[in-house]
Amino acid sequence: MHWINWAIVATYLTVVVVDGLRRTRGTTNIEGYFLANRGLPWWAVGLSVMATQLSAVTLIGTTGQGATDGLRFVQFYFGLPIAMVILGVTIVPFLHGAKVFTAYEFLEKRFDAKTRSLTSFLFLLSRGMSCGTIIAAPSVVLSAIFGWDLTVCVALIGIPTVIYTVLGGVQAVTWADVKQMFIIVFALSAIVVVLILRMPVPLDDAFRIAGATGRMQVFDFSFDLSKTYTFWSGILGGTFLMLSYFGTDQSQVQRYLSAKSIDEARSSLLMSAFWKIPLQALILIIGVLVFLFFLFTPAPMLYNPEHDAKVQRAEPVAYAELQSRYGASIATREAAARDASAAQRAGDRATAQTALLSFRGADSTVNAVRTEALAAAARVTGESSRDVNYIIPRFVLDHLPLGFAGVFLAAVLAAAMSSIAAELNSLSTATVIDFYQRWFKPDASDAHYLTVSKTATAIWGVFACVVATYAATLGSLIEVVNRFGSFFYGSILGVFMLAMIPRTRAPGAFVGLLAGMATVAAVSILAPSVSFLWHNVIGAMAVVVVGSLLSLGGPTTAPVRR
Amino acid sequence: MPTPFRTTLWRVLLVQAVTLALLWLLQSRYTADFLR
Repeated sequence: MHWINWAIVATYLTVVVVDGLRRTRGTTNIEGYFLANRGLPWWAVGLSVMATQLSAVTLIGTTGQGATDGLRFVQFYFGLPIAMVILGVTIVPFLHGAKVFTAYEFLEKRFDAKTRSLTSFLFLLSRGMSCGTIIAAPSVVLSAIFGWDLTVCVALIGIPTVIYTVLGGVQAVTWADVKQMFIIVFALSAIVVVLILRMPVPLDDAFRIAGATGRMQVFDFSFDLSKTYTFWSGILGGTFLMLSYFGTDQSQVQRYLSAKSIDEARSSLLMSAFWKIPLQALILIIGVLVFLFFLFTPAPMLYNPEHDAKVQRAEPVAYAELQSRYGASIATREAAARDASAAQRAGDRATAQTALLSFRGADSTVNAVRTEALAAAARVTGESSRDVNYIIPRFVLDHLPLGFAGVFLAAVLAAAMSSIAAELNSLSTATVIDFYQRWFKPDASDAHYLTVSKTATAIWGVFACVVATYAATLGSLIEVVNRFGSFFYGSILGVFMLAMIPRTRAPGAFVGLLAGMATVAAVSILAPSVSFLWHNVIGAMAVVVVGSLLSLGGPTTAPVRR
Repeated sequence: MPTPFRTTLWRVLLVQAVTLALLWLLQSRYTADFLR
């Protein structure tokens, strides 16, 4: 990569860390460190909420998914605006009004200490692990692309993030998130412009070519529980997932607990309700445009350069044969794409459809050869291929004008760092508030808690980096992060839903939580084909049903009012 | 000061409706006839 690109990356890292260090001045007490004294403006919190959710996986994995699978993944987010509106009128007023540090603290006020401790423990368990995978995902890709040692890549992302999160607390996290969100949107917009300008055929024709492969199919209305991305799984499963994530996951709850008022907290969440689906659609469209770009510019057979080199070394004859067939098949496909475009220009719909059908056949041939190459890569390296995650990085590094690669790399680092910082900050909060202060040292000074909080952040940071170094072989980058959470997510949401229902009692909540998790475990074992998005619905419902039944006939307890 | 919640809510619904409509248009215009 050119030195100018590196200079851009270095500038970004320096600005983020230096600005984080400047924020240490506002964090002299524990409320300042964890909640910015509940004084942040809604727009900064809103951008922080978005930046926290958008990780490097979104930038490299989801764009890659757009390139290989098209737009239908956007359905995953259909429940998000609904969830944000529901949260705005339910959990947000309760949590913000209860003046708590963690979402789980609220559960002790409403139910009992063991429900709080269990939910907080589950959060620490799932988020502690997922924080490692959030660092690992971009590190693995950077390591393969630049040929660096994985530990170096983990350190490049992890160390600056740990430094500014430990020293600056939530102030540093939020204000870094604001800058990082701007970098991400700028990088994405710049890539769209370049892709449109460089498309050798008119954009209208190009999208029709993508449409011949099914990539422009957005909506799938089939009610099939084994399909992950359908309209219904997005609307129902997605709503429950987003309710859990934004309503009960401390990494998000802590963002809006730092807002000035309930209204500002609501508005910060609604910013995501406005922009998440359009932003996600843009990310997937970038993927589709990159697929189209590589129709007219020779694409590598294997996008992962490390795997490509290993296959070439281990099986030179087979590799050469595959490469020769691949070269011929992409040449045929390019010719078919140009014919399809010409047929559309001619205006004859029937001819155009025939040309698109031929293109589809040529594309299938390319895919068949690539499947063989991917199988060879898996055989030689012993790793399941994650080639989809290398499509966008290869496009950016090989085909964008000078400076763009630096901006994109800064955006990938920004996306990773913003998510990691929020998670470290919230992991430390849950550790200190829900365990250390609650069970071990309830009456220490503010200065003492501040020191413990900084130490806890640093320990979680080191833990996440260690997990990241060994998480390289974990499953698909896109789904692994969601899967970690989905096992407990629905059940934890169920407890919060139970808290909103009058007359429900502590024993019902605790047993309901256990029953919810057991139900999800049973479903995932007995019916593995049921998509993980439905686990959230099942878990939450099991908790509400069991918790409500066990609360029948007991004394009436009203939910905590603000 | 942020906009009142009810106003924001309507705006959210409007933006989502427009986004979904655009995605629907994108799908119906560009998905090939033989895939319908």
